[in-house]
Amino acid sequence: MELFDEFPSLGRAGLRDMKKGIDFAFRDFSRANGEAIESFFDPLMFFMVWFENLLIEAPWPLMILIFASLAWLGARSIPIAIGTIVSFFAIGWFGMWEDTMATVAIISVATFLCIGLGIPLGILMSRSNRLQAVITPVLDVMQTIPSFVYLIPVVMLLGIGKVPGLIAVCIYALPPIVRLTNLGIRLVDKDVLEAAAAFGSSYRQKLFDVQMPLALPNIFAGVNQTIMMALAMVVIASMIGVKGLGVPVLRAVSNQYLALGMMNGLAIVALAVIFDRVSQAYGKRLQKHRQGGHGV
Amino acid sequence: MNKLVKGLAAAGVAAAMSQGAIAACGNVSIAEMNWASAEFMANVDKIILEEGYGCTVSLIPGATLTTFASMETKGMPDIAPELWTQAVEVPLKAALAAGRLHSMNAKPIQGAGEGWVVPDYTLANHPELKTVLDIIEHPELFPFKEDPSKGAFVGCPAGWGCQQVNKNLFKAYDMEAKGWVLVDPGSAAGLDGAMAKAVQRGDDYFGYYWSPTAMMGKYKMQMVDFGVPFVEMDHWTNCITQAMCAEPQQSAWSASEINSVVTDSFMKNNDPKAAAYITARVFPAAEMGEMLVYMGDNQASGEDAAFEFLLNHEDLWTQWVGVQAANLIKKSLQ
Repeated sequence: MELFDEFPSLGRAGLRDMKKGIDFAFRDFSRANGEAIESFFDPLMFFMVWFENLLIEAPWPLMILIFASLAWLGARSIPIAIGTIVSFFAIGWFGMWEDTMATVAIISVATFLCIGLGIPLGILMSRSNRLQAVITPVLDVMQTIPSFVYLIPVVMLLGIGKVPGLIAVCIYALPPIVRLTNLGIRLVDKDVLEAAAAFGSSYRQKLFDVQMPLALPNIFAGVNQTIMMALAMVVIASMIGVKGLGVPVLRAVSNQYLALGMMNGLAIVALAVIFDRVSQAYGKRLQKHRQGGHGV
Repeated sequence: MNKLVKGLAAAGVAAAMSQGAIAACGNVSIAEMNWASAEFMANVDKIILEEGYGCTVSLIPGATLTTFASMETKGMPDIAPELWTQAVEVPLKAALAAGRLHSMNAKPIQGAGEGWVVPDYTLANHPELKTVLDIIEHPELFPFKEDPSKGAFVGCPAGWGCQQVNKNLFKAYDMEAKGWVLVDPGSAAGLDGAMAKAVQRGDDYFGYYWSPTAMMGKYKMQMVDFGVPFVEMDHWTNCITQAMCAEPQQSAWSASEINSVVTDSFMKNNDPKAAAYITARVFPAAEMGEMLVYMGDNQASGEDAAFEFLLNHEDLWTQWVGVQAANLIKKSLQ
């Protein structure tokens, strides 16, 4: 009966040896390869340092002008452009300009990196059911594993700073764009593809002229989610030495500075809303051709 | 319910009279701070108070400033076994004077302190580096990853009490002009990770750390003498530890004061013998270091380490408790 009362476990010593074994193996791995991996990421790091310094050191009126024009170019909407200007004035007025620029820098790089990796991955996934079966659980892990768990190996391998922070952000922010690209392409009507094939479309033409345009609403939902998730990771990234709005939030959390936490939290929200509205509006404009067509 | 409690209390009193040890020790909450030595101490206290004095103990996780704020305003948790008092110097003094809190033990861990550390091989390879004053002349030995022309000094994570001190000392030693960057590691994990990574690779490293910690022992970090004496206490508390400090002066880190602090309600409502135990419990540096390395090497929790300590260092902890309590604890360990 003892078997049923007590779960047959590995036991303390066995468990400890296993944990130690894994840890030592990782330590040896990071000793052997850490430097090589780190220097692989060096160009990216120097780009990020340069980009952050550029945003921080550029004159603020110029930056506000650039943000407002980007908002206008993306959304073609006066209210969004004005909202952007007002938000950045408020951020500057409350003394969060530098932190906000640092956050904008890392979020932009993270978003472009995730989109650059995620869309091709999503396309590959939509081509092959087997690949989908392999990648989906990986994406599940990336989205649900507590970020602190993967921060440990990332920090042991790469130390603290921008690159480990970027990796932490991307682990969390990459899945939506991959999933939704895959979904969007898979949802394209089979009849449409058949018609394209009947007209003699090549593989490439089918992908870029039929499937991708028809999948755009989903892909843009993915881009949007990726940006939102990247912003949600700002505070976690600050826990491994990334400058930005996350640092004052951490300070506020450990000292109960209510106002400081709220102000910086709201600045993150403001960035999120601007990024969201602009990317949504841009996505909608890309799909203008749909209007009046057969509604998909 | 009330009757039941009274009945139990009566039974408890009767038991106390017959046994002489278990007096009415009620509910006690102990702050389990979020670092290893405090976790370990909180668990030792928990086991001893529960088994030896019949208290019902709950552990409440927390950090220095949050726990202190809660103790001062709400009277919860009852005991902070390892409170680093400099972070809360001024409000603590007020609370002690007003009798809301009581300091039971001004040196629960021997040889504890904060300061600036380097790995032992850095000192061995560069014998000319004897004090902090020497090290800060050589930022080129500790290149900052993101800007290799500067030296990296890894300070305290955002929000820690020591963050202000590091910032002000950084300013006092004019380190920015000497080519240093004050790096914010973001969190305890970031700070440990930065140090572990550097030492594992054999890189030189310069930053803030404190003892007693497994990290200091495991990576053979050396605390460096500042080369200047400690500035007077007044300047330390009113300027160096404050966010607004116009002209911080050069100083050594103040000798650390760790206190075991308890709330007034603990003193009033609980067994005085339990309070006497808190006063008597002093961990020597060697034993504390041993337990911390044990925790690190075996990935043991504070609770595991507490049992390990109680099993292996009977000679030490039996001096802290009465004979009766010692026997009860020994029995529970078997």
